[in-house]
Order: sequence, then structure tokens, then C-alpha cells
Amino acid sequence: MSASLAPECSERKERYDTCFINWYSEKYLRGSTAPSPECEALFKEYKTCLNAALKEKGIYDMIKEARKTSPNGGSGGAA
Amino acid sequence: MRVFENTCTFDYSWANVSVANWRKYCAWNTQSTHVIAVDTLDRTVDPHTGILRSERLITCKQNAPRWLLKLTGSEVSYVREVSEVDVRNKTVTLRSVNLTGSNIVSVSETVVYSPHPDAPDTKTLFTQDASITAYGAFSRICNAVEEWSVERFGQNAQKGRMGFEAVLEMSAKAFRDMKEGNKEEA
Repeated sequence: MSASLAPECSERKERYDTCFINWYSEKYLRGSTAPSPECEALFKEYKTCLNAALKEKGIYDMIKEARKTSPNGGSGGAA
Repeated sequence: MRVFENTCTFDYSWANVSVANWRKYCAWNTQSTHVIAVDTLDRTVDPHTGILRSERLITCKQNAPRWLLKLTGSEVSYVREVSEVDVRNKTVTLRSVNLTGSNIVSVSETVVYSPHPDAPDTKTLFTQDASITAYGAFSRICNAVEEWSVERFGQNAQKGRMGFEAVLEMSAKAFRDMKEGNKEEA
């Protein structure tokens, strides 16, 4: 898996990524699309760490701004 | 504005490609060295459609000519990507736009992975299109920025493809090993 931009979050990210990819290949692709509570809990831990890092680096506001202008994500030039 | 378009075929099923897509920038991809981190910002599943929506932040670091670095101010740039996996219609759509340097140049890209019409069970079609627009008072500078960006985008796209091929191969191998391991155990 790829690294996190915040090294202090890398462990939590790896735990979450592993959970997600297992859920994706074993459940989601086979039609059980309901989210996994286990992965959601790991994501919450990772996100807490990541959001703190994003705020510290000043990226958090940029993301918030981007969500406002393209709520559906990156339709930027396409819309 | 410049437009970049590209299509290619991967000799793997859509399901395999869609799994490997999440690992595109892992250690198996030794080509896309400009991507230094990928973080997931948000992820939801629509309970009615089953569409999986993910928002990711991609951190890139690439060397650029000095004149361009002066304009953008940093080697590190951030890209916001929103993707949708529609498992019922078998499509993965990724849309991304740069967050940094967007006052100088805006790069917005759409990538779609879908089963290849000629061999839907074994091959996957990849389509990529991007529009690159530079902003500035001087058209000469805009042209130079756009030209550099299109060239680099093309190079990165080629590396991305080669790197992704390696990820697909390693994923398939890991899967085979796992199955063989299971057989031996049984």
C-alpha cells in the first residue's frame, strides 16, 4: 500500500487499507455492498490522525473549499 | 486549453483491475515515483445504488523547471480525486483536479475502467482524458506552462500504465499463490 502524507498516521492507514481491500474484494465485488463496521472503526482512527495532520499542513481548508466548488468531486473541467 | 486523451486495454478482468486500482501506487509500482502518498479522506456506499464513493488526496512531488517552480512555489502538489465504483454496471470512474497551483494551471482528469466490449470477462478497457488550462496575463507564459504540463502528463500517464501493469501482475501472482497454498493445506 502507499504511504500517508503524515508518517505518524501510516500504521493506522495500513490497518484501514488492508481491511478495506479485503472487504472490497471479498464482500463488495460479490454483491454484499453494506459497509463493514470493522473497517469503519479503523477508518475513524486513521481519519482522526489524518485530519489533524491536514490542518497542521494547511491542506484541510483547501479540501473544504474544493468540496464546495465541486461537490461531486473534480467535475472541474468536465462540467 | 489542451486536451489529453488515451485509451488502452489491460488483459485482466474488470474485477481484478478494480481491486488492483486501490493498490496502483504501492511499492510494486516502481514507475510512478512522482506519487509519494495516497490518503483516503472519505468513503461511503450509497445504500440504494450500491455505488462506492471515495475521496482521496494524492500527494505528488516532481521536479519541474525552475521558471515553473517560481510560479507554483513548491515541488509538492496535492490532487483531490473522487471515484465511484458502480459494481452493478461494472465501472470505475475516477475524477481528479489539482488543489495546489490551480491559480497557475488547472489539470482535471477523468479515468474510466470498464469491461472490454470484445472480451468483457477477461479484458478491461481503460480510458483517460484530461484538460489542462493555464491561467495568466501573458499568453506566451500560458503556452509554455500548458506545453510543459501536457508533456509531463503524457510521461506520467505512460509510467502509470507500466507501473499498473506490474501491480496487476503481482496481484495475480499473489492470488495464484494464495489459491495454491490453500490447496496444499486442504
